[in-house]
Amino acid sequence: MKIRAIAFNTFKEAIRDRILYLLLFFALICIAFSRLLALLTIGDRVKIIKDVGLASISLFGALMAILIGTGLVYKEIDKKTIYTLLSKPIHRYQFLLGKFFGLVLTLFIMLLLMSIIFLALIFFHTFTIEWQLLVAILYIFLELCLITAVALLFSCFSTPILSSIFTLAFYLIGHTAWGLETLIEKIKPGLGKVLAQGLYHFLPDLENFNFRIEVVHNLPIPASIFLYSTLYGVFYSLFVLTIAFLIFRKRDFI
Amino acid sequence: MYLKIITDRITRKKIPGSSIIYLPEGKYLKYGTLGFSSFLADLIYIWAIQYYGDYTIPDSYDYLYKIFEIIAELDPHYFDPIDMGAFIAAYEAQDLELAVKILDMGLEKNPKEWFFPYQAAHYLQFMQKDHERAQEYYKKTMSIEGYPPIVRRLYADAIFKATDYERAFEEWLEIYNTAEDERIKKVASNHLYRIKATVDIEKLQDAITKYKEKYGRFPAELSRLVYAGFLDSIPKDMDDKEYLYDSQTGEVKPPTIPWKR
Repeated sequence: MKIRAIAFNTFKEAIRDRILYLLLFFALICIAFSRLLALLTIGDRVKIIKDVGLASISLFGALMAILIGTGLVYKEIDKKTIYTLLSKPIHRYQFLLGKFFGLVLTLFIMLLLMSIIFLALIFFHTFTIEWQLLVAILYIFLELCLITAVALLFSCFSTPILSSIFTLAFYLIGHTAWGLETLIEKIKPGLGKVLAQGLYHFLPDLENFNFRIEVVHNLPIPASIFLYSTLYGVFYSLFVLTIAFLIFRKRDFI
Repeated sequence: MYLKIITDRITRKKIPGSSIIYLPEGKYLKYGTLGFSSFLADLIYIWAIQYYGDYTIPDSYDYLYKIFEIIAELDPHYFDPIDMGAFIAAYEAQDLELAVKILDMGLEKNPKEWFFPYQAAHYLQFMQKDHERAQEYYKKTMSIEGYPPIVRRLYADAIFKATDYERAFEEWLEIYNTAEDERIKKVASNHLYRIKATVDIEKLQDAITKYKEKYGRFPAELSRLVYAGFLDSIPKDMDDKEYLYDSQTGEVKPPTIPWKR
């Protein structure tokens, strides 16, 4: 109940943020621009629209999560509203989870809006609603949940600018960590290989949530990948939220 | 705005097509796409279309394979660029080997896609006139599930054009026997007619040449070839009609055009 109240308040606060609307505006411009870009190609135009649309949803969704998520806790501390909040019978984990779910709800609404415009644009070209695209969007949402958790974690102990840089770094690492696989293959057996393998398993792999190519090309996706990617996203988010809670618990505001 | 117009008017030296040197290899580029490899493949493909639409770039075709390899590396299931790359190589660069190389790359990345070897066979058969290699690619196409029935007919035609008449006849006979509709049966029958006519006419022309060498003139009629001992009998076409013979030129023709039977 307390979590829900904080979540709704966070949602109300987030939807008043001008950055959110600016990003939404640019995302919609990009989705619409895909139609123009498709005119320049030879061959399948809808493929271009799908690629640009999904890339826009993913990129601007991530920017929303980073730019709004990193200020969530910091703003409360900066404006001293956290004193009023924590003086109430609210546990700190409830406060954090409330913030987390509030932003997740905001992102869900934003993603829903972008998806409706995107699917409408596709429908305008194919005269069918391509439901399989929702699979890619669903996993973009899961990725955004994880990014939100990370943004929240950094927001607990850092300024919004630094938190944004850290979360952006997490995003970049998450999308490039799969390259370590190539490095592991090239390293000779030994300590270096073990360290690289350890790093590879520890670092986030956001490519686990990337089903865009499969969905655009209508490629079959094994059901087990859906399950394990979902579990990976849920457990990684829980792990990050736990660290956030441990840090936030130690913070002294008075 | 005024300054912008003034700046635009100043002519600057440009090297046409120099932007290509900034493109890293696809396998390295993929690491930097942050999961947007498919989107980047689209952008490079659109850029490539503009690049090859500019005929002022002198060495643009030198980079053709590199550009389309990058796209295929970024999005291996994107077939349009591979098809277009091969098309540019075949028709614009007039380099059929390059076209086949690009299509080979497409097949390597999509081993279950019959379209790439089919397209390569098409270029080899109809543009390069390399019917032996065309057969190899048709065979590759037929080893992949889902290929259209026309591939088999083109394969049989490639065998015929490679002058392996016996095998071509067997292949067309098989097509005739397994055809499910009358149109295909008719097409196969016409091809069988053509193969038999070609073999018969070659045999007759050979005998006519020998006759001329011996008697110094063309035979007055084809039956003379039997009397002179060059043939056991005069072959007839598949419809049991006699071949047309011109004793002035020594030329033999089928009594009917195969496609008008």
